[in-house]
Amino acid sequence: MNKIKLLFVLVAMALAVPAFAAIDTIAVDVGISVFQTMPIGVVPFEENGNIKWTNEAPHLILTRDANLTGRFEAVNSDKFDLVLFSKKRARQYVTGNATKLSNGKIKLDCYLYASETKDVLLGESYTVKPYDVRQAVHSFFDKVVYRLFGERGVASTKLAYVSKIDGVKQVVISDYDGFSRRQITRDSSINMMPVWQKGNKGLVYVNFRKQRPNLYAITFGGKETPLFTQFKQTFSPAVNPKTGELLFSVTEGAKTELYRGDMKTGSAQKFLHLKSNQVSPSWSPFASEVLFTSDRGGSPQVYAVGKDGTDVRRITYMGHYNERASWSPEGDRIVYTSMDDGKMNIYTCALDGTDIIQLTSNAGNNEHPTWSPDGKLIAFASDRGGNYQIYIMRKDGSGVTRITNGSENTSPTWSWFFDEKKFK
Amino acid sequence: MGKVIKLALMGTAVALLAWGCSKEKPETDPQPQTAPEAPADSTLNLDALVADTLSADSLARLEAERLEAERARLEELINRIMLEDVYFDYDRSELTENAKRLLAQVAEILVNETRFIVTVEGHTDARGTEDYNISLGARRSTVVREFLIAYGVDANRLVSVSYGKERPKVQGTDETAYSKNRRAHFRVSIDQ
Repeated sequence: MNKIKLLFVLVAMALAVPAFAAIDTIAVDVGISVFQTMPIGVVPFEENGNIKWTNEAPHLILTRDANLTGRFEAVNSDKFDLVLFSKKRARQYVTGNATKLSNGKIKLDCYLYASETKDVLLGESYTVKPYDVRQAVHSFFDKVVYRLFGERGVASTKLAYVSKIDGVKQVVISDYDGFSRRQITRDSSINMMPVWQKGNKGLVYVNFRKQRPNLYAITFGGKETPLFTQFKQTFSPAVNPKTGELLFSVTEGAKTELYRGDMKTGSAQKFLHLKSNQVSPSWSPFASEVLFTSDRGGSPQVYAVGKDGTDVRRITYMGHYNERASWSPEGDRIVYTSMDDGKMNIYTCALDGTDIIQLTSNAGNNEHPTWSPDGKLIAFASDRGGNYQIYIMRKDGSGVTRITNGSENTSPTWSWFFDEKKFK
Repeated sequence: MGKVIKLALMGTAVALLAWGCSKEKPETDPQPQTAPEAPADSTLNLDALVADTLSADSLARLEAERLEAERARLEELINRIMLEDVYFDYDRSELTENAKRLLAQVAEILVNETRFIVTVEGHTDARGTEDYNISLGARRSTVVREFLIAYGVDANRLVSVSYGKERPKVQGTDETAYSKNRRAHFRVSIDQ
């Protein structure tokens, strides 16, 4: 495994260094990171009026976004400092003005400047309630990402996960950085396996109020709908990114099989006709293929199949327990969980199962990986710190950051991109 | 039954009161010798009444006692079934010899107690994913259900569900805890 990793790093470096050396630095953290990050200056906002920030001042939110989204490395300075920015190769910096208005709202003018020329590359203005400052800054940061990379950023995305509240597993959502947490389910049985509906309209999750696992849809207003009640036991939901259609597992007797169903009409058909059990479906980014786990080889292994249920092929061969695969939004890699010697760890591999890279090791159990919608990051649950919490890492395993704390948090699922939020 | 006893008691009370009133005049004279004679009738009546009510009462008590004993017996059986989990090997859903012996005893009870409705819950240890463990728990609960059906228990009285790794019996991350959590558990209700 290490040899594969080393080889990958060497090859990647050999390829990457000449191409990017002239433009950016290449961070090679602890010998495994091949992620290139762009240094970006971050300067505190000028404040007019006595402003009390709800949790963090805008430049701290920007700093966290810069480091957490995996694209940047924040270079913090109390004021504009060309010497520092030049030394650290921060060719751009972000800052702004914050003004307290008489109606209690805060006006944020956010800017992206070119460090050398002080040209304004991007300027955005938001007038928001104090509580919405965070979202406005995330929104600005995504514009910065778009301005510099031409790609959508994930600072405005969210995570759904399972949190133990008063001893009961409940589904909660929060910003991708763990802030602005909200409890979605209230039922006192077990709530688990949340996934985002298409367009982030709500969640689909599993609940045990009938003393068996059943799928439900829930809106963020708390309105619940039982799904596919023609089946006794349903779980493992996966949302088709194109049509919103669901793939899920149905258990009847000893057999667990995949079905595809329409949430609105409630109709569902068997997806695969295999003798083995099937769980954990995952759609490819354009919904042309499906990954799933089957025990048809005697142990759980990852398979791929066309969206029409034909052309089943095995992806994973190494190890005796490979589960919960999901397809990168960039389309080129698969992330999955593998269990070795009772410990769960996260791996990625190419679409044909080759080029395996172990992303986590020697740090407790690491499981339930979920891609950020831009494919740059992976959120997962780990008990490395004693109890289970949610962490985010770059897709190469570097930059691991814990984003939750307190009682047990597990099973993160990343939202889709949100439509741009309109601040009034 | 209660009303009859009440009425009877009231009747005797009235009789006693009447007797007391009639005895009011010779209050100063105790007349210890003649006294038993006069109320002889009413005492007799009272005795007869008491004897009657007692027998009705004891019938009720016997019935209650019998029901209580039956309830206790069923409760004990239910407890026995619910306490006895069937254990499995890691990532397996085949019944071990121990499991089969235990299941035969449970089946024996269920064949005789036709009012019992049993939910067989399949559980797994904490290792592995939630999704795979639900399918594994389903295999375990089904294997147990099928064994009981093969033994002669009516299939309509047996429901199988899977909890995966969501409801461990023992907390912990060692084999001792794991081995106690890889189980099929019975939940019993009585068909009314």
